[in-house]
Amino acid sequence: MKNNNSQKNRKLRNDIILAVAIIFIAAAGLLLFVLNREAGSTVSVKIDGKQTASYPLSENIEVPIITGENDEHINILTIKDGKASISEADCPDKICVETRPVSFVGETVVCLPHKLVIEITNDNADGGLDVAV
Amino acid sequence: MKRVISIVLIASMLFTVTALSGCEKNEELQKFSNYYFDYFDTATTIVGYEKTKEDFDANCEEITTLLNEYHRLFTIYNRYEGLNNLVTINDVNNGKHDIVTVDKKIIDMLVFAKEMYSKTYGNVNVAMGSVLKIWHIYRNEGLDDPVNAELPPMEKLIEASKHTDIDDLIIDTENNTVFIQDPDMTLDVGAIAKGYAVEQIAKHLEEKGVTGYILNVGGNVRTIGMANGDKWQVGIENPDTENKEKPYIEFLKVAGESIVTSGSYQRFYYVDGKSYHHIIDPNTLMPGTKYRSVSVLTNDSGLGDALSTALFLMSYEDGKKLVESTENVEAMWVMNDGEQLYSDGFEAYTFEYTPQK
Repeated sequence: MKNNNSQKNRKLRNDIILAVAIIFIAAAGLLLFVLNREAGSTVSVKIDGKQTASYPLSENIEVPIITGENDEHINILTIKDGKASISEADCPDKICVETRPVSFVGETVVCLPHKLVIEITNDNADGGLDVAV
Repeated sequence: MKRVISIVLIASMLFTVTALSGCEKNEELQKFSNYYFDYFDTATTIVGYEKTKEDFDANCEEITTLLNEYHRLFTIYNRYEGLNNLVTINDVNNGKHDIVTVDKKIIDMLVFAKEMYSKTYGNVNVAMGSVLKIWHIYRNEGLDDPVNAELPPMEKLIEASKHTDIDDLIIDTENNTVFIQDPDMTLDVGAIAKGYAVEQIAKHLEEKGVTGYILNVGGNVRTIGMANGDKWQVGIENPDTENKEKPYIEFLKVAGESIVTSGSYQRFYYVDGKSYHHIIDPNTLMPGTKYRSVSVLTNDSGLGDALSTALFLMSYEDGKKLVESTENVEAMWVMNDGEQLYSDGFEAYTFEYTPQK
């Protein structure tokens, strides 16, 4: 009887350890998932419709983007404080430089003469803007 | 042992709930977008939900083939060998225009253009080519050489405006020919052709059963069906481009509608520090000054394109009457002080948007 009791107790203890372990793993998974979901947006660079580079929106960087058949054109992509913009360009109209910095999913900065699009994307975010006019 | 099994079951349910929490939509569909730069002198974006990139690209191929066809027919700048287009109609030989046989698409578009002329009390006039050409030249010169940018002389504009009578545009719908009676008159379809083409392509896709797409040709937006179970979320940009704190002034939810905005901030040049945009008032021959922008929500992108231009030039009272008397049309006017005025049904489409970062 006594023996049986201690066996039961051990079983219970093992169960509790297992339960705690499994719940811990599940919670860790959930946390990871949530963190990953909100890992932040990406700044995608597309030239003539093809993606050539992407950068995290959270990083502060300045990168030249070279375009044109003979690499003769340049736009400077600036990502600062969670916003992306074209800070400089040698295009004739400079509309891309005058476009306000973008940060929302679905927003774009377009340089028509250089066939360049900067787009904010986020694979994990639902409910972003589908189009801006 | 039973307890262990139940614990494992509970935990795996927890995992499942976790994994599913992000995807309550049709999981098979993904959102894709492609960009193009070869049509109507602007950027084109196609957004669509498909199972694979291949499926999406196949539809984009069909859309851009049509866009290219419309672009070549409706352009007033480019000639193409063996193709009669708007340039051919505008051509003058031995002091007069030719009678030109054209594709049915041009005939239909010009018939629509005449309808829009009547509907908008002449505010959208494709026969204004002579006036718009002068503005086009001065704007391009001003952009190339900002220091010496100039306004077109008013005498020049007035002289050109004598040759803008739309009744001089003779369309023969039986023989598919077009003839401009006034040798000094030319066509400029910039205010309607893009929207008209987008609408024709969207209708074609709808007839094929395509759904879950957006066509955006230079801000002429036409949605096709819903976005994977939800309505599309559209941001209307703040026409006050200096205001960095407020990039959007309104958010709309739509499914199948078209949204077109005409604004003074879109295509302009500076003369002596003052900006002059591209929407020219047929009455003053100068850029319209009544609003910062006007956005039109309709189920027809061709009508939306024409009306956004017309409303931008008309008084708010007249414009509102025009909107209220036209079926399936709503509008938002942004006044010069930033005040936003709406047609009666516009706000049914608006929603509060929380930006996704």
